[in-house]
Amino acid sequence: MMANLEAKSYMTPWQLAIVVFVTCVGAQILLSPRSLIADAEHGAGISVVIGGVLFYSATCLMLVLAKKYPDETIVEYAPRIFGKIGGTLVVIWFNMLFFLQVIQIFYGMGKIITFYMFDRTPPEVVILALLAVCAYCAVQDWGTIMRIQQFMFFVAYSILILVWLTSILNLQPENLLPLWPVNIKAVVGGGLSTWNMYAGYECVLLLMPLVYRQVSLGSLIKIMGASFGCLIVLFLLVIVIIIGVLTVDGAKNLLYPALIVIRSVELPGTFIERLENYLLIAWIPVVFDTLAAMMFFMGEICMRHWRQADHRPWVLFLVPIIYVGSILLDNQQVYEMANKFTMWLGLAFSFIAVPLSLSLSWWQKRKAGTGCG
Amino acid sequence: MTDMGGLIRNRIFKRWTGCILILILSICLSGCWDRRELQERHFVLAVAIDKADEGLGAERGKDVDRVEDFVQPHGSKLYRLSFQILQLTPSNNSEGAGRGNTSTSVISTTGESMLEMIWDLQGQSNKELWFDHVQTIIISDAAAKQGGLQPILDFYHRNEEIRWLTKVVITDGEARDLLDYKPPSGEASGLFIANSLRMYAKSQHVPGWHTDLGDISTSKDNRRRVLLPRIEMADDVVKLGGMAIFKNEKFVGYVDEYATQGGKLMGGLERSAVITFQCPEHSGSILAFELFSHTTKIKPHVEGEKIYYTLDINIRGNMAEMQCRLQHDTIKDQDIHKLEQLVANVVKENILYSFRIFQDLKVDASFFGPKLEIYEPQVWERVKDHWDDEVFPKTSLIISVNVVIEGVGAHQ
Repeated sequence: MMANLEAKSYMTPWQLAIVVFVTCVGAQILLSPRSLIADAEHGAGISVVIGGVLFYSATCLMLVLAKKYPDETIVEYAPRIFGKIGGTLVVIWFNMLFFLQVIQIFYGMGKIITFYMFDRTPPEVVILALLAVCAYCAVQDWGTIMRIQQFMFFVAYSILILVWLTSILNLQPENLLPLWPVNIKAVVGGGLSTWNMYAGYECVLLLMPLVYRQVSLGSLIKIMGASFGCLIVLFLLVIVIIIGVLTVDGAKNLLYPALIVIRSVELPGTFIERLENYLLIAWIPVVFDTLAAMMFFMGEICMRHWRQADHRPWVLFLVPIIYVGSILLDNQQVYEMANKFTMWLGLAFSFIAVPLSLSLSWWQKRKAGTGCG
Repeated sequence: MTDMGGLIRNRIFKRWTGCILILILSICLSGCWDRRELQERHFVLAVAIDKADEGLGAERGKDVDRVEDFVQPHGSKLYRLSFQILQLTPSNNSEGAGRGNTSTSVISTTGESMLEMIWDLQGQSNKELWFDHVQTIIISDAAAKQGGLQPILDFYHRNEEIRWLTKVVITDGEARDLLDYKPPSGEASGLFIANSLRMYAKSQHVPGWHTDLGDISTSKDNRRRVLLPRIEMADDVVKLGGMAIFKNEKFVGYVDEYATQGGKLMGGLERSAVITFQCPEHSGSILAFELFSHTTKIKPHVEGEKIYYTLDINIRGNMAEMQCRLQHDTIKDQDIHKLEQLVANVVKENILYSFRIFQDLKVDASFFGPKLEIYEPQVWERVKDHWDDEVFPKTSLIISVNVVIEGVGAHQ
């Protein structure tokens, strides 16, 4: 028997940083800007920075928590912290975060692709096709998925950013003004709502056992800082260019302002036109690797929770559930409600469940230490 | 169970399963099931929107109008929608698709909803109409005055097939006539107009800035004025020049080429322009300055209730024509400075001319309001609701122009 070379037992901290970056940047770069700009208006860029700092802090807390339980994921240590029922609820909560994000991404992607590329094809068909491809990737071992993510990080992202940067030609800096005064409440609210953009960093709770031996906690926190720095720069680039090209009021009234921004680019002296199609072509693999990774994480959580050896049956089991979930989001209003619900669920997980786990684990360890005498 | 496991492990079984899978996949992935070949499509190159009783043409009989019409369950016959369609198959007509010539045809109908009219127009076409390549939308001012821009352009803003960079122009004649126009270059008139508009940087009389379909959408969303380039046609002559101004999507009026040039100078949008003036020393002689580059800075100032703007302009260029050149010593700095001063005065006059026209029309065509919003947001909050009607017409503009003549051409 040949060893399974794709089953990874370790990864470097930089690989983790790439995984976090690639998992976070998914469909939301095209789906989220409208609602963020509508809420925070000219302060949307500040919201992105606030969100980045906030969710980086949450990631650091997760790393500290994970470091306390080496060789285990949250699926194993949550029942020890919260008890059997409480732990199960936390695991379900954790898995629900991925599930809700995945169905929203499928819905949004189906909508965008049918609207801009295949206007006569029902979104359900596009979702089904994409789901099949993502499921095929998610049933692979982590080594394969990680390699795809690394490949996408260097190839798809460079194309995506290059195409996006062409919209600088239409940027009017005055549209970004006035930067002050900003509606502080709206900007802070906008910072929280950027969770949808940064979501995916929770994967460190699953991947930490593969990394912790390679590096100290301090270095890992620094490396994750680089990952979040890149995320902030990318999201800022998206938001600033959208406002600079379309103005706040213009962006608010468009369903997918990022695509309209790129649609209004004219490259003088070239035969290249309708750049939104190029952006979509680069965006599809970006979304694919986010979805594949999230589906893998969902399968992995189920596998670990039920103490099985293989995540693949779980991925296949989840495929119809994901499909039904994504087609149940049958209109924009339901989608936005689901989006908001997921955001609060995610925020509560990061800023209530994780700090609580950390406090309880400290308390339990201290108690155990005192007990030993 | 064991038999089943054995079967799955069987090499021949695996090979056959693989072959069947490849066959099934190759059937599914063999190409686009809903493909449409180029020659099976009718590409719309230009759209003309007239009032329903316009665009008829003298030679057309009443029967033609009746056939073009359709029974409309709701609304009334407000607009005449016409399409210029590209003929991809060679025409038998000797005037048709010859070398360098584009063969087109025009179809029309009347109605109120743009989409309903498009579906009706399909009855005049043997192929599906495609809007991916619409280059120009021509609106007659009578149609625009009837209900404003919103009912005319809403469909085009929503439709994902239409390009965001589609050119939109207005004409005081009949828009459909421009679709029938045959440019001397042989190309379709829709393309001809779009390409002419793309040259706006080369003509100070054509307002090409922020006048595309997408820009109009952004201006509407921001409740700002909309500017549309004006196109006129008489016999076989077609010309772009001047512009129409819309406020709250309603037609306000036309401004001439000189005001258009002043507006471009105000906004720092001129990339190339000619500024002509009389030589003060030799009456009857004209001097022409060719602008090469141009920057402007508009800043609002508030003193109590009074709002005024300062406009600093830097212009660089050449003296391109001096009908009295031998009587000026253009080697001397003194003479060059005199000319620079003259150009600066002419630019000031031009800008003030445009500024007063915009004030008279009560339309902030050069974004003075947004500057106030940026630099004095609190003042803007106070005046924004009555900016166009009351505040803007009373503001004043202090202009400072700095002209640098870099050369005088090949002769001194």
